[in-house]
Amino acid sequence: MFATIFDSITRFATEYNQFFSSGMAYLGAGIAVIAGFGPGIGQGFAAGKAAEAVGRQPEAQGKILVTTLVTQAVAETTGLYALLVAILLIGK
Amino acid sequence: MLDFKLIAPLSPYVISTLIIIAFLSVVFIVVGIKVSKLDPSKTPKGLVLLCVTIVDFFTKFLGEYISGKRLKFFGPYLFTIITFLALANTVALFGLTPPLANVGIAMSFSVLTFFMIKVAEVKFQGIWTKIKGLAGPVKILSPIMIPINLIGEISTPFSMGLRLFVNLMSGTVIAGMVFALGAGISAGFNFILGLGFNLFASVFLHIMFDIFFGLIQAFVFFMLSTVNLSMASEA
Repeated sequence: MFATIFDSITRFATEYNQFFSSGMAYLGAGIAVIAGFGPGIGQGFAAGKAAEAVGRQPEAQGKILVTTLVTQAVAETTGLYALLVAILLIGK
Repeated sequence: MLDFKLIAPLSPYVISTLIIIAFLSVVFIVVGIKVSKLDPSKTPKGLVLLCVTIVDFFTKFLGEYISGKRLKFFGPYLFTIITFLALANTVALFGLTPPLANVGIAMSFSVLTFFMIKVAEVKFQGIWTKIKGLAGPVKILSPIMIPINLIGEISTPFSMGLRLFVNLMSGTVIAGMVFALGAGISAGFNFILGLGFNLFASVFLHIMFDIFFGLIQAFVFFMLSTVNLSMASEA
């Protein structure tokens, strides 16, 4: 089954080379943005833990807020890389 | 657009950077002159009071992370960074292109911070301690550890610059897409509807991408620089 799919893709690629490559670039951009799952889960986890910490120790709210912002920005980086790749692929 | 030959070869990012630099230098020079003439026995008023409050707040804030002599060394740099970034990220509200949406400008900021980290390491740790730290605790493994640690050193400014750049650029790109949708509606379907859509959308887009994300990213870059500098300057 995979052999026939692959065969049809290669035949399609030889016939419509330019459109095929730009279409595949859009497809790749869509696939790259799936990486947004990871930062979403990570940031939500950090935010939940920060809310727990504020509930346990309300007087340390300022420091907890700063720490949460910085750690969430660090966790966001991988998603931003995916977004960069996607935007580069769209602009191709 | 306007055909103005003198600044035509410059890209819009550089033009808005130059405008911000000119504005900030005028403000800083005026405040500096006012502060140097300040009477210590009276309470300051107006612009000087605002600036004194801001500087005092940041000095106290930085004092929790960096202390003593190192605060005097790094404080001015960090305050300059956050002032420039906070203005540069919200400058889209005044119709200019945000300069950090260009990878060159964002990367130059991270290179500046990288340079400051290296200066801090040489000044407060010494070169020999740094080389020992790069080689790792076990002598035999040092040929493996040195390349890994060097990659770790370089990845810090890289990720900081890319984070700043992609956040601002994604805001610009998404806002551009939504505005293009409104322009398409007004061109093909109904002029008033498209105009209303764009006016309505611009409120939320600018609040979200320019004010909220821009200030958060400026603060995050400032905070990461602070944490990295305090880690680098501690023995």
